[in-house]
Amino acid sequence: MKDEIELAKRATPITASAPSATVVSRSEELSPYSRSKQAREAERVLNRIIDDFDDNPQAMQYFYDLFRRVHCRGESIAAEGPRIGTTCIQAPEELIYAMGATPVRLCNGSYHYDQIGAEFMPAKSCSLVKATLGMLTSDNPVPRVGKLDLVVNPTTCDQKKKASAMIEEMGHPVFNLELPNVKESEASRLYWRRSVRQFAEELRGVTGRKLTRKNLKAALARTQRAERAFRAMDGFRRASPSVLLGKDAFLVVNAYFFDDLDRWCEAVETLNGELGERLEKAVRAVQKKAPRIVFTGSPPIFPNLKLPLLIERAGGVVVSDETCSANRMLYDMTAVDEWLVNDMVDSLADKYLKPCTCPIFTKNEDRQRRLLELVRNFSADGVVYQAFAGCQVYEMEQRSVARTLNEQGIPMLYVETDYSPDDEGQLSTRVEAFLESIKTRKRMRT
Amino acid sequence: MRNSPESPAVSALDWRVLAQAARDAVNACDFNRVRFWLQLFFFALMVYGGFAGIDLGLSLPTFACGYNQTGRPGVCYLLPLQHQLALPPRVLFGFAGIGVLTGFVVFFLWFIALNKGWCGFVCPLGAIQDWITALRRRLGVRFSRYSQKSFETLSWIKYVLLALMIVIPLGIGAGYFSHDMSAPFCMICPGRLIIPAFTFDFRQFVIDFSTPTKIVMTVLGAMTTGLFFVGSFIKKRFWCFFCPMSAFHYLLSKPAAFRLIKDGDKCTRCGDCYSVCDLQIKEIADDVNEPQIMMEDCIMCLKCVAACPETGALKAKFAGLTIFESTEAGFMKRMQKGAAP
Repeated sequence: MKDEIELAKRATPITASAPSATVVSRSEELSPYSRSKQAREAERVLNRIIDDFDDNPQAMQYFYDLFRRVHCRGESIAAEGPRIGTTCIQAPEELIYAMGATPVRLCNGSYHYDQIGAEFMPAKSCSLVKATLGMLTSDNPVPRVGKLDLVVNPTTCDQKKKASAMIEEMGHPVFNLELPNVKESEASRLYWRRSVRQFAEELRGVTGRKLTRKNLKAALARTQRAERAFRAMDGFRRASPSVLLGKDAFLVVNAYFFDDLDRWCEAVETLNGELGERLEKAVRAVQKKAPRIVFTGSPPIFPNLKLPLLIERAGGVVVSDETCSANRMLYDMTAVDEWLVNDMVDSLADKYLKPCTCPIFTKNEDRQRRLLELVRNFSADGVVYQAFAGCQVYEMEQRSVARTLNEQGIPMLYVETDYSPDDEGQLSTRVEAFLESIKTRKRMRT
Repeated sequence: MRNSPESPAVSALDWRVLAQAARDAVNACDFNRVRFWLQLFFFALMVYGGFAGIDLGLSLPTFACGYNQTGRPGVCYLLPLQHQLALPPRVLFGFAGIGVLTGFVVFFLWFIALNKGWCGFVCPLGAIQDWITALRRRLGVRFSRYSQKSFETLSWIKYVLLALMIVIPLGIGAGYFSHDMSAPFCMICPGRLIIPAFTFDFRQFVIDFSTPTKIVMTVLGAMTTGLFFVGSFIKKRFWCFFCPMSAFHYLLSKPAAFRLIKDGDKCTRCGDCYSVCDLQIKEIADDVNEPQIMMEDCIMCLKCVAACPETGALKAKFAGLTIFESTEAGFMKRMQKGAAP
């Protein structure tokens, strides 16, 4: 641990400059961290993402480099102002940006931290929560985002709710952002709007700044740029055959967790430019008949891109997703009628609650409708549903989602898994069989 | 002649490309600005049209106030309707009934052309409320909303006013009420005072002391006018929520040509439409089953369409033809405020 801290001091922080074209070399062994088991886990996945596929978009290099620096080398990530950690997508980051702080999404995908978390968490808790807590309990964890001035913990699922006290015990100041667990009622809307206001108050205490019309409007413009870039990238994924693979799309949005906002936008806009060219030149990333998959359920977070990678290495392509580590995080956009603080805050609050398809809510109609719409819109052939073992809400919704999809003749593969690499062999057989059955169906139809 | 089989195909393609370009331009328009100018145009028409010699008849489905005797380009149907209903029953249900029916049919035809678009785009009282809203916004004062419960309760008032507007004149005709109550709704309508005032006609700004009934009616009128100004400063489209014309419209809206259509499959229920809705209609965001989404309080201002980020989720259609629809690109253009790149 001491070495790691030393390293963090020495390592040059990644500054907010334009995406560099230089490829971060792989062999360069910099530090004790990069020789650690944890770094090797990230390295192995990253190399697979890059090497197992031909003809990756050049603009993806920025993201490959970013992950190599942050996850494989443990370089620190510079940020201005206070650092606000968030444990779910419902924490309105516009408020954080408006008050001069920088949000960082803490949800973690590393098996290393999953194992650390398992030491003090119940055996049946989900990998994501275990890994997140495992990371928060470590000294100088990766990604190295620096000291957290506040951890915002939206009260979503039981495990995250109960994690709140544990995070506090680890020495982080925690703010519980009270999220209702029914979202249809008017009472829940009002309750949530009040919660968001309380969050703004709390931030004011942390940052010493006031929320004004000007800074909030500017923050909305910044996140809207990200949403625009995301939607443009998403639009390219409608093309058939695909021009962008799901593994890259997941990586891009995973980078949003910790990357500098403006630099991230710039990199995605560059990527979009290249995807546009690829579309025109009819360069395609997959075989013409590759089964098109919509990914749903527990979120793939780097380095745990196990399942999307298995799908795409087996010849499928993830064309869209309904997960909180990608689509659900950046898809929805805010509409404001009157650009005054109150109306902007209320509109923001609505955006974070109303379209959310998280399974923690009592009903899941919106999630089912969303999946059907994604399948239609992205001409998908099937759905892969990932549930982390221990994520009760996703496990419980599996049946109703499967029923709805089956009624529409859409095949679904349900996969219960976790962060450990042990089940990869077995999973790959199942994924291959699923993709094969889709191909057969397609052949039969034509 | 050898080229002829080819050229129609080419021109058809050009035409389609042009039509698509035109549609994209409309869908990406700065909607609030377009609507502002349309409202200004219709305000001028409805308040000053008479000076230009325009006469659109006695059956207009909007507040072209009859008390604005010089400027009106026609008359709000509610005024003649109340007078007609106050005819003695024998006359009303006799030969004069034909005239009454004709008036209603003309009103109905006017109405179904624009549906509640009359409220959102044409009504001068609606435009005045929007201007008061703009003033409040400039002053940086936030608007208020009804709680869901009061919304549901208050929502009945317009039907009560509509019923009274029909029952009282019938009662006058049958001799139950005094003629001093004639055109009872007009007496309490803020339009009677406000709209003639735009042509410097302030004759309605009086309390009529000739009889007790007239005192009550004119005092009520003065009070609603005061309430109109205060209310619409606090609440967007305050008056429309209580307007019996709106209730009347809604009861007749089934066959309307102009429609607000929702494709629930495309809706993510993000609530953007709800948060811009002046009448705080919840169904616009929450109902994903009903394609005919124009609710009773809707004024068809189409702000919801302009604020919807999902392509094709909300549409304004005229006689089956889409004239304005929500698009992702249009949304992004309209909502791009602040320091955007």
